[in-house]
Amino acid sequence: MAAAGALAFAASAATAADLTITSWGGAYTASQQKAYGEPWEKKTGKKIHWENYNGGLGEVRTQVTSGNVTWDIVDVLPHEGRVGCDEGLFEKIPSDKLAPAPDGTSFDDDMQVPRPNDCVAPQIWWSYVPFYDEGRAKANWGDARPKTIADFFDLKKFPGKRGIHTWPNALIEMALVADGVAIKDVYKVMDTDEGIDRAFKKLDEIKDDVVFWSSGAKPLELVKSGEVAYSLAYNGRVGAAILSEGEKFVPVWHGQVLEEEWIVILKGTKNLKTAMDFVKFASAPEQQAGQARFINYGPMRKSAFKIMKDGEPWFHNGKTISEHMPNRPELLDISIVASPEWWADNGDEIKERFEAWKAK
Amino acid sequence: MAVTTMEDPASAPGEILTADGRPLKASLQRSLRQSKLRAAGLVAIPFLFLLFTFILPVLDLMKWSVDDSQVNEVYPRTFAIYEQWDGKDLPGEEHFKAMYQDIANATGLEIGQTSTRMNYEKSRWKSLLKVSKRKIDKYAKANPDFAGPYKDYMVSDVHKRWGQPEFWQSLGAMKDPVTAGYYLNAMDMKFDFEKNVVAQPEDRRIYKMLWWRTLEISLIVTIACLILGYPVAHLLATLPLRYSNLLMICVLMPFWTSLLVRIVAWMIMLQQQGVVNDSLVGLGVLSDENRLPMMYNYTGTVIVMTQVLLPFMILPIYSVMKGISPVYMRAAQNLGATPAWAFIKVYMPQTLPGVGAGVILVFIVAIGYFITPELVGGKDGQMIGNYIAYHLKSSLNWGLAAAMGAILLTAILVLYWVYDKIVGVDNMRMG
Repeated sequence: MAAAGALAFAASAATAADLTITSWGGAYTASQQKAYGEPWEKKTGKKIHWENYNGGLGEVRTQVTSGNVTWDIVDVLPHEGRVGCDEGLFEKIPSDKLAPAPDGTSFDDDMQVPRPNDCVAPQIWWSYVPFYDEGRAKANWGDARPKTIADFFDLKKFPGKRGIHTWPNALIEMALVADGVAIKDVYKVMDTDEGIDRAFKKLDEIKDDVVFWSSGAKPLELVKSGEVAYSLAYNGRVGAAILSEGEKFVPVWHGQVLEEEWIVILKGTKNLKTAMDFVKFASAPEQQAGQARFINYGPMRKSAFKIMKDGEPWFHNGKTISEHMPNRPELLDISIVASPEWWADNGDEIKERFEAWKAK
Repeated sequence: MAVTTMEDPASAPGEILTADGRPLKASLQRSLRQSKLRAAGLVAIPFLFLLFTFILPVLDLMKWSVDDSQVNEVYPRTFAIYEQWDGKDLPGEEHFKAMYQDIANATGLEIGQTSTRMNYEKSRWKSLLKVSKRKIDKYAKANPDFAGPYKDYMVSDVHKRWGQPEFWQSLGAMKDPVTAGYYLNAMDMKFDFEKNVVAQPEDRRIYKMLWWRTLEISLIVTIACLILGYPVAHLLATLPLRYSNLLMICVLMPFWTSLLVRIVAWMIMLQQQGVVNDSLVGLGVLSDENRLPMMYNYTGTVIVMTQVLLPFMILPIYSVMKGISPVYMRAAQNLGATPAWAFIKVYMPQTLPGVGAGVILVFIVAIGYFITPELVGGKDGQMIGNYIAYHLKSSLNWGLAAAMGAILLTAILVLYWVYDKIVGVDNMRMG
């Protein structure tokens, strides 16, 4: 209740910038600022105001329905990119307003996956991936090391606490693959009630040894401190710790769940033209590749991936980045590509069931 | 005011006049009215502020908790004849015709918005409607003269889910523009297609358990705060000034420290590889495998919330204790009471207004708590506030969030009322 009042205040405190972009903060926002925020500011002479949020469309819906839009551009999860478009919270971004590939390939053909609707512009691929600390692995597991997602659910072979997030996305998929479902059949199995039962039964196997996290930095802390032996995390966080801080973390890519990330323009923004110009700039191949200099989230455009690969060592501190990209071609066969459509349809129900499971 | 019922005061004999020749009474009343107006003006500012930043937003949100009008507006034909269906087998041709026409007439935006709502009642409405809208639009364009059979077309060409009675049945819960459904959902119940109240399926029941847990945690935290806070407040009130000042700083320092900093400090202390566990293992009290789970669970929430809310208990009790004259205690002891007996019979009753204020303050803040359980609650330390936030921010089920908020607000008002009946709000002193 107080949130509504607080929002009214936040709204009135908007700054005098030409464009307000809301994203997730931390190293991720920093990569956006360096890769295309600052270059765009230099190019146009306009000023960007960056805000952070924790996801969810609650604030977006409040702004759009109240007609008081202070965020122009928001960085959204795949599910929200769809729901928000269905609900009319975003402006349309026609394909011909987006930049083609350098070799002239049209924007639509340059995408690794087609856009789900014409509200979203490409940002990056990211993933939920399990990882452990090599520095502690010997003490925990001797010479054995996990290789597949089944090992994440195998407390006998790999004892120690497991870190998982507090919502069911990706966990259901991983549990099923760990239980022997072929990666390509995951969503077919999830469409049946037995499939969901099966996933929860698999989750039961680790339940007593689970530590939950909800913010992206937490799993790194948990693994680093030894609080948990093996945790799921956002691949970008793990990569950043390895690439920039020299941590000895090891991601186990088999069974990772790949998710899209999009940018959208809020319906009713007063800066529509500026926002459109920015989105075009930010989603162009050069800028997409440029972002990979600062964070190991994978570009969604084929041409951007190529620019990055040809430019190796591409990371800003002189390290190679390709092997940290969640969507590199050799991983695609062992990765689950999340289905936001399935989650839009079933997410509410599964979330409730997951809560009931947690509390039991 | 009595003025109007009296005769014209100026003409009354023997009237006292002021220097400007006006009757004293009228002049007095005028200045009284002015000062009242001024007072009202001063109150108006905070009142308007409250109205626009608190009362109106709350009412607006409350509206969400009962509002089901959009679904009824977007599918008028379907709902108009809905009750003619017996709810068992598939509905007849005319129902499919109504649904076909409603979908064809709605905008894509309306379909998107209502499908979110309908998905709360039954999963997969979302994709069903999205696909149906796309196909029906295309079909209606190609066959403008289409006049049936609608049932056949919908089930075999549009989507096979139209052939499943469960989807039709789930519409029953939404057939009225004003609904109690969200309140039922918040209590692990729902409407069936005839609007009978039924329990949710077992694996979806979470809220009742959460309400109890929220109440339980709030009570435990309040009692813990009272037990810990009362002696501290007493010390604060009775120690010589130079010690009590120091103690006061110890109470206030954490109060002024950022909530997040305090929570993170607790994490470092209490987690399984944390300071407390490390020390206990180091001292040989615990073996390495049996480290105590004190963080990211119920225990963690209770411990951290108690520490965070402790000042809210200490300060009101302290301020009341400060005002209690030591004379009474001395008198009681003079009259033969032991110190303990005097404390219980004479001192403690006088502190009740402060205790009452502290208890109610801590309890009300605790029951709506959100950030601490979010960070340290783990799997079994989450409270109802976390779910209100989740439904506002992520699931966008504002109806359910509003219903839960309304229930929470009502619960607080009821408890406040009970408190007033038992202790009396007039007895409460915040300082």
